Amino acid sequence: MPFNRKPQKFNASIKEVVIGCGEKAITLGGESVFPFYTFDGDMKNAPKVGVEISDMGIPEVAGIKAYYEGCTTMGEIAKKASEMEGADFVCLRLEGGDPNGANKSVEELVAVVKEVADAIDVPLAVEGCKNVEKDSELLAKVAEALQGKNALILSAREENYKAVGAAAGLAYEQKVGAESAVDINLAKQLNVVTTQLGVKADNIVMNVGTASAGYGYEYVVSTMDRIKAAALSQGDAMLQMPIVTPVSSETWGVKESMASEEDMPEWGPVEERGISMEVMTASADLACGSDAVILMHPQSVATISKMIKELM
Amino acid sequence: MAKFVTIGERIHCISPVIRRAMDERDPEPILKRAKEQLDAGATYLDLNIGPAENDGEDLMKWAVKLLQENFDNVPLALDTANKKAIEAGISVYNRSKGKPIVNSADAGGRIENIDLAAANDAIVIALCSAEGIAADNDERMMHCQNMLERGMMLGMEPTDLWFDPLFLVVKGMQDKQMEVLEAIKMFSDMGLNSTGGLSNNSNGMPKNIRPIMDSALVAMAMMQGLTSAIVNPCDLRLMETIKSCDVFKNNTLYADSYLEL
Repeated sequence: MPFNRKPQKFNASIKEVVIGCGEKAITLGGESVFPFYTFDGDMKNAPKVGVEISDMGIPEVAGIKAYYEGCTTMGEIAKKASEMEGADFVCLRLEGGDPNGANKSVEELVAVVKEVADAIDVPLAVEGCKNVEKDSELLAKVAEALQGKNALILSAREENYKAVGAAAGLAYEQKVGAESAVDINLAKQLNVVTTQLGVKADNIVMNVGTASAGYGYEYVVSTMDRIKAAALSQGDAMLQMPIVTPVSSETWGVKESMASEEDMPEWGPVEERGISMEVMTASADLACGSDAVILMHPQSVATISKMIKELM
Repeated sequence: MAKFVTIGERIHCISPVIRRAMDERDPEPILKRAKEQLDAGATYLDLNIGPAENDGEDLMKWAVKLLQENFDNVPLALDTANKKAIEAGISVYNRSKGKPIVNSADAGGRIENIDLAAANDAIVIALCSAEGIAADNDERMMHCQNMLERGMMLGMEPTDLWFDPLFLVVKGMQDKQMEVLEAIKMFSDMGLNSTGGLSNNSNGMPKNIRPIMDSALVAMAMMQGLTSAIVNPCDLRLMETIKSCDVFKNNTLYADSYLEL
């Protein structure tokens, strides 16, 4: 009997969410097939790659420092990031806002956000400092400062979705990132309550969390898999938001990326390991259903964007 | 597995309000009932215009357009003994939210409604009875086979025949209830879809009892593999039971607000 290929067609699709304005605006989502199943149908929009920069400056990684050489202001760093080969958008991480860290004031951080936004013409995502109280205030002010930019605000969490969702999604018409940490039921619940708040479903993206490859990553796989399956095969409108996954903040902190070559001679050069961890995790996230990944190293950004192009 | 499909039964010409609205082509009472049912979580709406011998075609077209234009092309079950009226309804029907359902065929005098569904790429509710209620499951399954074969010969997908075991009233036919549930299991084992007028079981019972009986039965029937039912979606207890069973069956992903969806 001849083999008859049956395309796996779904009547549902992931919602399309536009970030940014003008020619360089990007569209996340839109697919009605599983990740990269282009033999089954159209993915519509290729997954996107964001470049992470931080208000705390350039990290101590030789290849990254070399790339940003000569950049002294946040505006210059942002512009350089936006010009990286394969970059679709810039993600500014405000880690300096952490009360247990540098504890920069909201005003100081909002000034950084404005400087970065003015320096680039690609879409901007802004990530908070991960402290829920500080982020409630900080991200609301960031959303206000970015009026008209159609930015992605990361993230509204279970504890602060009302403050962040209302400011970003309702008052200042930005895109809201709903963040859960590899908890599929909470991922859905956050989308439900954020829409109940009045935020339109097509103004929401999900950050369902990731782990660095090798660090409980199988939970990430099953979470993203189950979300895409529910969104497409069960037509679950509360899971049809595109997924954005910040990768670098996970992968550059694990021992494989940090242990020095003196301590671990058998592991080889430290920077190469860091890039490998970032590339492996990002490619796995994309294969599981992320519609965008956020990376740091120029070589990772180039590699992943090339992978996406070749798989589309 | 797909979510359980609820077909809202409240647009029915047996209701005097609806009867008059249909006669006078008065949209308001019909739209009101449609909205109530959709807000309560109905997937499909049943549109029962009765025998409609005189102006069935015109009435069905009017009602299909009315409901679909006002409620984002809500999918409908076209419910009448008048075949021409069903065809007329399908001729103006928008399929973007789901195929039309022909309600209904049986293995007796109404078997040609399967042909009608096949010719129009519609779903058909296939009642497993011919002349009167099936005596036992041997007879039910014989009817099921006959209708399935007829549909498939005409090119239908087996999943477009939704088999109705015919839910029986507890008061009077209590000893037949488990047999109906077993029939559902047999449909399910064959990979077939099923539906039916579930609330028939509680006919004649006090008003406060009916939601309890209906909820218990829908849970048992969903366990057996029932994929749809024609229900009153405004029955909160029943809808909560269906949503909870959908979670247990992994038909829908749990979230704390699942009852609000």
